[in-house]
Amino acid sequence: MTDSGVNINSAVISAEESVSPTRRFFIGIQKSGPVLVPLLSLAAMIVLIIYMVNNPGGAIEARILNYGNVLRMFREHITLVLVGSGAAILTSVPLGILITRPAMRRYTPLIDNPVNVAQTVPGLAILALFLTIFGLGFRTAIFALWLYSLLPILRNTSSGIQGIEPGIIEAARGMGMRPWRILIRIELPLALPIIMAGIKTATVVLVGSAALSTFIGAGGLGELIVTGIDLMRPTLIYTGAILSALLAILLDNLLGSLERYLRER
Amino acid sequence: MIRFENVTKIFSRGTIPAVSNLNIEIPEGTICCMVGPSGCGKTTSMKMVNRLHSITEGKIYIDEVDNSTIDPISLRLDIGYVIQEIGLFPHMTIADNVATVLVEKKWPKQEIGKRVDELLELMGLEPKIYRQRRPSHLSGGQRQRVGVARAMAANPPIMLMDEPFGAVDHIARVRLQNEFLTLQEKISKTIIFVTHDIDEAIKMGDMIAVMREGKLVQYSTPEDLLSTPADEFVANLVGGNRSIKRLHLIRVSEILNRKVATVNMSDTLEAAKKHVIENAFNVVYVVSDTGVLNGFIGKVELKQEGEFVKDVYRSYPEIISDEATLSDALSVMLSNGESYVPVVDDFEHPLGAVSLEDVFKAVRQDD
Amino acid sequence: MGASRFEFRDVWEYITSNQDYLIRLMIQHAHLVFFAIVLGVVIGITLGFLSAYYKPVAAVVLPFAQIMMTVPSIALIGILLPFVGLGFNNGLVALTLYSLLPIIRNTYTGLNEISPSILEAARGMGLSERRILWRIKLPLVLPVVFAGIRTAIVMIVGIGAIASYVGAGGLGDLIFRGIARMRPVMILTGAIFISIIAIFLDIIMGWIERKLIARQT
Repeated sequence: MTDSGVNINSAVISAEESVSPTRRFFIGIQKSGPVLVPLLSLAAMIVLIIYMVNNPGGAIEARILNYGNVLRMFREHITLVLVGSGAAILTSVPLGILITRPAMRRYTPLIDNPVNVAQTVPGLAILALFLTIFGLGFRTAIFALWLYSLLPILRNTSSGIQGIEPGIIEAARGMGMRPWRILIRIELPLALPIIMAGIKTATVVLVGSAALSTFIGAGGLGELIVTGIDLMRPTLIYTGAILSALLAILLDNLLGSLERYLRER
Repeated sequence: MIRFENVTKIFSRGTIPAVSNLNIEIPEGTICCMVGPSGCGKTTSMKMVNRLHSITEGKIYIDEVDNSTIDPISLRLDIGYVIQEIGLFPHMTIADNVATVLVEKKWPKQEIGKRVDELLELMGLEPKIYRQRRPSHLSGGQRQRVGVARAMAANPPIMLMDEPFGAVDHIARVRLQNEFLTLQEKISKTIIFVTHDIDEAIKMGDMIAVMREGKLVQYSTPEDLLSTPADEFVANLVGGNRSIKRLHLIRVSEILNRKVATVNMSDTLEAAKKHVIENAFNVVYVVSDTGVLNGFIGKVELKQEGEFVKDVYRSYPEIISDEATLSDALSVMLSNGESYVPVVDDFEHPLGAVSLEDVFKAVRQDD
Repeated sequence: MGASRFEFRDVWEYITSNQDYLIRLMIQHAHLVFFAIVLGVVIGITLGFLSAYYKPVAAVVLPFAQIMMTVPSIALIGILLPFVGLGFNNGLVALTLYSLLPIIRNTYTGLNEISPSILEAARGMGLSERRILWRIKLPLVLPVVFAGIRTAIVMIVGIGAIASYVGAGGLGDLIFRGIARMRPVMILTGAIFISIIAIFLDIIMGWIERKLIARQT
């Protein structure tokens, strides 16, 4: 997926003019969003797991839908997402800072352009490519997901820093700040909301890509979905689908409000 | 003619009226400037004329026809409309922008082309150069011109102008104002001109409507507004320096009575010398074969080496048209560093000169 | 399967000896993406315009479309299974749904970002709302909508590969069959083809997008 895939919060509501009840309702949700939506998603996930395990709706489903199994897949999924995006943050933020240093500036397009191209490569293709190189397994999936979420974060880091008005940097330099201090005190704080937006996009996309990891034998909630498709058991599909969708919504909201907090500050 | 009759505008129930009980009559062919601080209801009043805002109470008559009985679309097609932000359509060429209303009125293509060229020329924009350009390639002043040309396309008898020259710098604004006044003498539109700048209102308006908090405070000619402000609010708005403000009111053409002799480029310096000595400012104008003012020769130039006028003459940094105001004349004098200013007509043929003394006299007489 | 040893020559050999099959898969893939994007464009632009014109529609459509995007594609394809079954239709519905958000969002924000002064000038000059829509809003919003279509196409080329899992055909078949038969060459061929098509479409669409913007400025 490309950059503009998953962020729309900002466009929806601007509280102005006369406010209709519907709008007020959505503004209400928006305002309580940081707490309400993640909590609701979490609660919904717990309720769903308990309900499905107790009402599997058939013998085949019952064999798969037990706490041990579901929680394992859930844990695998979260691990894939968090380790994948965590590793991506740790690598792409420093890399993004590096390529925006004055000495490196003229090489920035050399890195930016391939990154933009690579970002159009579909998630399944990346997983498949890595499968042929590293074989089946959890580690291959992590590696592919890391690379896949590296791109949006790297791009947002570099464009966030490059987007800072040159006058601000010049003023800081004029006041006698060292490059290192400028980075810490000016560039990073100003670019942080944009970096955060990249992290959010990457993480939400990763929840979806991680669901594909089951094809290369890495488990996760995709396993539940794919098993459901293979066995034609809708209950399994729904359980996996809704759990992963809720996980995406939860992370989207948590990181989204973190981004908004950073922006407003 | 436009007549407001007891016009009131209330935006949402229970709030203070944006315009209350407005009565104004704007005679055919005159400019009525609506002036006042922001939020005084001047723009709202204007927008009720072409029904961009509805009227809560009262009527607006256009040539004795109640405008609420006219379909808003056809009403607006017959009223020119210029706003401060101009609102040129960025995806259309200049020609297409100017032609907007003509296309809506389904004019034949050829006539549209002809009319667009005519308008661009009228606004001083060479059609060959500007027809196919996009708005983003124009300067602020040029955009304003296109905006005015677009509003005049279908030759509407009435124009509504909301701070039409508000988006450009002072020098460009003065030029646009003068050009527009010259134009108005030819086209004689009935114009509502909204501005927050009292100087602009005094300069542009045949009549001025001062508004405050939705109410009309004074409706009079600029002269009356300056000499007898209705209340303290108007007096403050007009400001302390009323004599200086009066400079905006008087046109150069009204006080122009000094002739300056002219010499040709190919004349000898000897011929010029006689004129320089006789002239009150010790200058003689230098004109081209077509009669365009090229520059001047003064005492300093006479002392220079050379046989002919063309060897020593100097050009003026700035000259003014006889449509300019005394205020313009004064500022050109300051920038030229001379105690007079050369005055030319539309073709830049010299008409004479106005001196600092003339300006003083004009303002004193008026007192 | 383990890390398999093969050379790129093998991939080339596979491509040349399976040309017909590959072409058939590509046609299937193009077919799916084409119909999905046509539907997506029609529905997406309509919903985008409705959202921009009617606030209550926006309040429903925009959050819904956004939540849609958070549902993992394999999950959506699974959810659709009981309703539309296996095969082409499943892929078509899934791809159409995914193509909606970028198109709706770009149409909506594009319309909202048209400067109010342009609309006021148009209204003041006597253009009716319908004429403003055709002469001003549509042409102005076109490059922005096109950017959304570009995003959507590149995205659903990838999701189309996933839809192969439920029998929608297309290049994803190579990947899934390759995994099932442990044939890295097939997997690699599939991954390369899908990637190249996505990149190629992105470049072409980006070029058209720039032309559209250039035409307006």
